[in-house]
Amino acid sequence: MKLQMLGCSHRQSSVAIRERLAFSPAQAEAALDDFRTRFPEVEAVLLSTCNRVEVYTAAEDPATGPTHQDLAEFLARFHGINVYDIFDELFERTGEDAVRHLFMVASSLDSMVLGEPQIVSQVKQAYDLALGRRATGPLTNQIFQAALRVGKRVASETSINEKRISIPSVAVADFAKQIFERFDDKRVLVIGAGEMGEETLRYLQDEGARDVTVVNRSFERARALAERWQGRAMPWEQLGEALAAADLVIGTTGATEPIISLADYRRIEPERYQRDLFLLDLAIPRDFDPAIGDCLGVYLYTIDDLQEACERNRQERDKELPKALKIIEDETARFMAELNHYATGPIIKRLRQGWQQPKEDELRRLFNRLPGLADRDRQEIRQSFDRLINKLLHPPLESLRDEARHGIPHGLLDAIKRLFQLKD
Amino acid sequence: MLAGISILCFAASYSAALVLEISRLFFRSGVRGAILLAFAGAGLLAHTLFLAYRAQTTSAAPLSSEFDWYLVAAWALAAMYVYWTFSHPRTAVGLFALPLVLGLIALAEFLAKREPFPTSQASQVWGAVHGIFLLLGVITVLVGFVAGLMHLVHSYQLKHKLRPVQGLQLPSLEWLERINTRAVFVAAAMLAVGFLSGVVLNLVNRRQDSLESVPWNDPVIWSSGVLLAWQLAAAAFSVLYRPARQGRKVAYLTIASFVCLAIAMGVWLSSPSSHAPARPAAAKPGSNAEFGMRIMEPRVAPANMLASAAFHPSSFLLHPFNRP
Repeated sequence: MKLQMLGCSHRQSSVAIRERLAFSPAQAEAALDDFRTRFPEVEAVLLSTCNRVEVYTAAEDPATGPTHQDLAEFLARFHGINVYDIFDELFERTGEDAVRHLFMVASSLDSMVLGEPQIVSQVKQAYDLALGRRATGPLTNQIFQAALRVGKRVASETSINEKRISIPSVAVADFAKQIFERFDDKRVLVIGAGEMGEETLRYLQDEGARDVTVVNRSFERARALAERWQGRAMPWEQLGEALAAADLVIGTTGATEPIISLADYRRIEPERYQRDLFLLDLAIPRDFDPAIGDCLGVYLYTIDDLQEACERNRQERDKELPKALKIIEDETARFMAELNHYATGPIIKRLRQGWQQPKEDELRRLFNRLPGLADRDRQEIRQSFDRLINKLLHPPLESLRDEARHGIPHGLLDAIKRLFQLKD
Repeated sequence: MLAGISILCFAASYSAALVLEISRLFFRSGVRGAILLAFAGAGLLAHTLFLAYRAQTTSAAPLSSEFDWYLVAAWALAAMYVYWTFSHPRTAVGLFALPLVLGLIALAEFLAKREPFPTSQASQVWGAVHGIFLLLGVITVLVGFVAGLMHLVHSYQLKHKLRPVQGLQLPSLEWLERINTRAVFVAAAMLAVGFLSGVVLNLVNRRQDSLESVPWNDPVIWSSGVLLAWQLAAAAFSVLYRPARQGRKVAYLTIASFVCLAIAMGVWLSSPSSHAPARPAAAKPGSNAEFGMRIMEPRVAPANMLASAAFHPSSFLLHPFNRP
């Protein structure tokens, strides 16, 4: 039995490499079909997210499974790139390490943002897609179903996915959602065109925000950003007007001085009627005069406040990490024991079959000598023979089970094969 | 079996739920939510059965006396708390709502010795409207107070960027503000209907020369009038001054409404009133006529017992007739 994983992730590879190797769902289907054509005996699942591209393969017979080189060439050929351009970017996990790695991935312990919840559904989608293309088999079914179960277990038994640790996600989940119940009726104002502002907008839109206004010194840049987010751009001169109407404001300009002073805010304050205002100052130097935070109904958070919250959340997550890793280790050990035991299945089957023939021969001989036996007596004798075989097989099978806890018991399997003359 | 349910049963359940709510502040637990809900649910069930049993066994319950009135108010608040805890198990609403529930139950127990409200066939409809709407008004003021308090705590935390206190997860400011705003208007409407129906009830009683009419200078009437006047002023203020409908100002309004209610209740409790005389043992023959009061049939004490109770007040307080 050969279980392996080859791929790249945010840990080893740059975005440029991950982008080149990424698969869209349609591409993943085509790739799986191609893989099955080339390796018909091998099961495969292809996991492709923005942070990783991983091919999981499993083969009953190690000889039929693809090598590291085969898988690297398969990925390179599918994307039309030279294998040597990506070879050093790829990493491999085999056997127990591959199982542990998948469990870590499904539990989001290997994610860029520890505890992010999307990865479980991405693993499930990858598995479902492979299942749909008939690329899976008994081994991949077992390992992916176990991975999904482990992901859920880690999520329910630890609070690792409750605390967010990226600044935009903390800004929205830990602060904006404390102030506002819903976002679809809120006016979001983005001042500047910084990356962090755009990332925050992504989270706000996930929460339902629809009304986005962008104000920037360069109206063209404001319009470009607004178009990306289905919002509207306003000229810089109308900043006060936009501020008076806004519920959430994200400041991301590169200005060297605050763009909104306390006096500026005081001028538009009467128009707001003390309506709650969430000011998110993601700019360095700051875009808003800190004194604005003392005004009625204003909740002003700077990047320092958010970083502090992120760090706090990170520390709380770190406390949960050992608990999550313990779950991964326990589940990996349990899965490997089951898998190794599963690997002994064919030998056990042959062993049982090997004893069936002598049993049938002996029964036939006995029944010929005792023709007067009633059907009920014959049945009793047959059951006695079955019990005898089970009792004789019990010690070797128990030994196999015990040995399987520490890996596939190759030595013991060979010994059983030789002792009972079992042929492959 | 229902007769065996006492105030202690549900008060103890709510107290246990409150202790569990407080424990949120100190440690995390996976099973606390279920245990908490079980205690709160058991308390609410016992509370419901207690009131149902009283409604069956007492002619005019559940709003026939101050005792019942406060117990029903506590029940409504507890029901809202259980619903909220069930639908939002992580929020610590119980820390704010359960002390009020227990306070109302304690008040009911304290007023258990008071006589029931006067009732007569002529005034039954107006009396019911009066009682129900005043009750709804008071419950709304209490809900507004809980929401207002949570709003102030939450906005203070957010404004001052304080570290979130473990276990003290509160609803969003927007949601709390909405509850507060609604509480101001709904309480004003309920109290207005309750108060006006009381006026009509009194006029009906007076026209019929009923013994149950209450003098206009009765402390309960004027203190209720003051409470209503404040609530109407708060609602008018909210309509005319837009900032009063938003942010902390509306929370201040609902908390001020609760303070007004507390003062009014203080007057009701401390001043002699025709609504419910405080000490039946001290009632003199003929005083029922003076206050327009009728002692309900099942709770009437024989004259000789009243006389002996007047001589030994403690013996009357311990007598089962005084127990609801």
